[in-house]
Amino acid sequence: MTGLRARLRPSVTVAAAGLLLLLAPRVFGRGILNDIWSVAFAVVLASSWNLLGGLAGQVSIGYSAFLGIGAYTTALLALRGMQPYATLPLAALLGAAFSFVVGLPTFRLRGPYFTIATIGVGEAVRVFAGGVAFTGGSSGIRMPPGSFDFGLNYASMVVLAVAVVTLAAWLRGSAFGAALAAIRQDIDAAEALGINATRYKVAVHALSAGLVAAAGSLFAINFQYISPGSVFDFRLSLSIVLMPILGGVGTVAGPVWGAIFFSYLQIKMLSVPALRDSYLFLYGTLLILIMLFEPKGLLGLWERLPRALRRPPKEASAA
Amino acid sequence: MPPEAILSVRGLSKRFDGLLALEGIDFDVARGEIFGILGPNGAGKTTLFACLVGALAPSAGTVRFRGERIDGLPNYEVVARGLVRTHQIVRPFREMTVTQNVAIGAHFGSRGRGRGAPEERVAELLRRTGLSHRAGALAGTLTIGELKRLEIARALATEPAVICLDEVMGGLNPSEIQGAMELIRWVREEGVTVLMIEHHVHAVVGVSDRILMLDFGRKIAEGLPATVVNDPAVVAAYLGDVAVPGGRA
Repeated sequence: MTGLRARLRPSVTVAAAGLLLLLAPRVFGRGILNDIWSVAFAVVLASSWNLLGGLAGQVSIGYSAFLGIGAYTTALLALRGMQPYATLPLAALLGAAFSFVVGLPTFRLRGPYFTIATIGVGEAVRVFAGGVAFTGGSSGIRMPPGSFDFGLNYASMVVLAVAVVTLAAWLRGSAFGAALAAIRQDIDAAEALGINATRYKVAVHALSAGLVAAAGSLFAINFQYISPGSVFDFRLSLSIVLMPILGGVGTVAGPVWGAIFFSYLQIKMLSVPALRDSYLFLYGTLLILIMLFEPKGLLGLWERLPRALRRPPKEASAA
Repeated sequence: MPPEAILSVRGLSKRFDGLLALEGIDFDVARGEIFGILGPNGAGKTTLFACLVGALAPSAGTVRFRGERIDGLPNYEVVARGLVRTHQIVRPFREMTVTQNVAIGAHFGSRGRGRGAPEERVAELLRRTGLSHRAGALAGTLTIGELKRLEIARALATEPAVICLDEVMGGLNPSEIQGAMELIRWVREEGVTVLMIEHHVHAVVGVSDRILMLDFGRKIAEGLPATVVNDPAVVAAYLGDVAVPGGRA
């Protein structure tokens, strides 16, 4: 049963990490807990994106659309008197439903059509949200007073992050995950063996979009104020792509490490005024470095480490 | 359509912009037959297979499989009905092991037609195709001969009624070709009807019950192997007699 144990081990690690994080409020102050919240949020985004982008190889650069749909669903319903946390399932469903708008017409096509469409749809949603009245337009909307509870939000985000990573680990080892891997590696060969590639892509897109929308919902509750510029930001879409690539795309642990590393960098950079506006430069530089030197990301570097340590430098051994 | 025909093709044509790759192809394949398809490079053989399984949509004509029209269906639907092909240019899932490659076919293609437990069936197919010793290896590390056999194992794992083998002997040495011919006979004994494209004329003649000859997208001969290979039009096509493309037509 070593196979089973090997498959369970990551889930146990994740559950233990989750438990520790749930106990963190007893030890740490609000500042650190806020940072942990941000990291958990990033983990949800990166791991969810990785389900479609990593496992199935379908790169979307428009995930802020789902985040924003989740956030706006929660804010608008809360303003009409619904309990904010009760809106989460609906936000997730709407996010999943919206994924069909992009996926259904483009997943049938071969080539980069899907990726290109995601950029267009992401921007269109931002412009729409800023231009119509019911969203509060470009000035955004504020959650109803009294809807804020950091303790509950913190716990919800940690639980969501643990759930997403566990789901990713399970999915990767399942028959569904095998179909996604086949689609990523050779979509025509996958169809030649009986896999309905369009259906699998649409399904995993909806799943991943729903999870991101749920994170958006918690985002709205945590920040109490949302605007098209904050939740439908193209830079946000870019960072959602960058995190899994940074950590190791297509793996379970990669997006988690990518999210941790990236959030840390961003928190550090935001605290230095001179660097605050240079994150696009940072994204680009990181992406180029990864593509050039380690396409497997941080996990790839980690695998290299023992080899690099074991092999003594040639010059030193000769001398 | 003769009652025993499992596959029946009528007036099948495929046009790529200006090029007519297949023109009005008719033929029937009987259940349990080994049906060879010969033709020079560019004759339209692989295009024919692609149209049969739905990887390409035919421009005209019908394909009936077990009496049911399958032309226009997507590839995965055709596989689900029991008609599968291998690829001439091998298309393994390189980041998966050999076993995982075959398991994909067993899991997604067979739709419950599987003979026995999937793991055992996968193991048997690996044994039959001589890949057992490579079961745990990544497909990307296989030799071309092994990759050709992996194509066959993977397609058979979908438990087809008809398998279309596209040049599975290409690039093999004589002893490997002998093994491949035995494998094809075993496939037929399993109850699977075989269509095979092959450049290796002796191999096709040795193993086929009947042969279809294509040239420039048209059928120029069909019949028993001995008759077809002695057909003047076939000889002309293979000797590259450009004065009579299509021979007697």
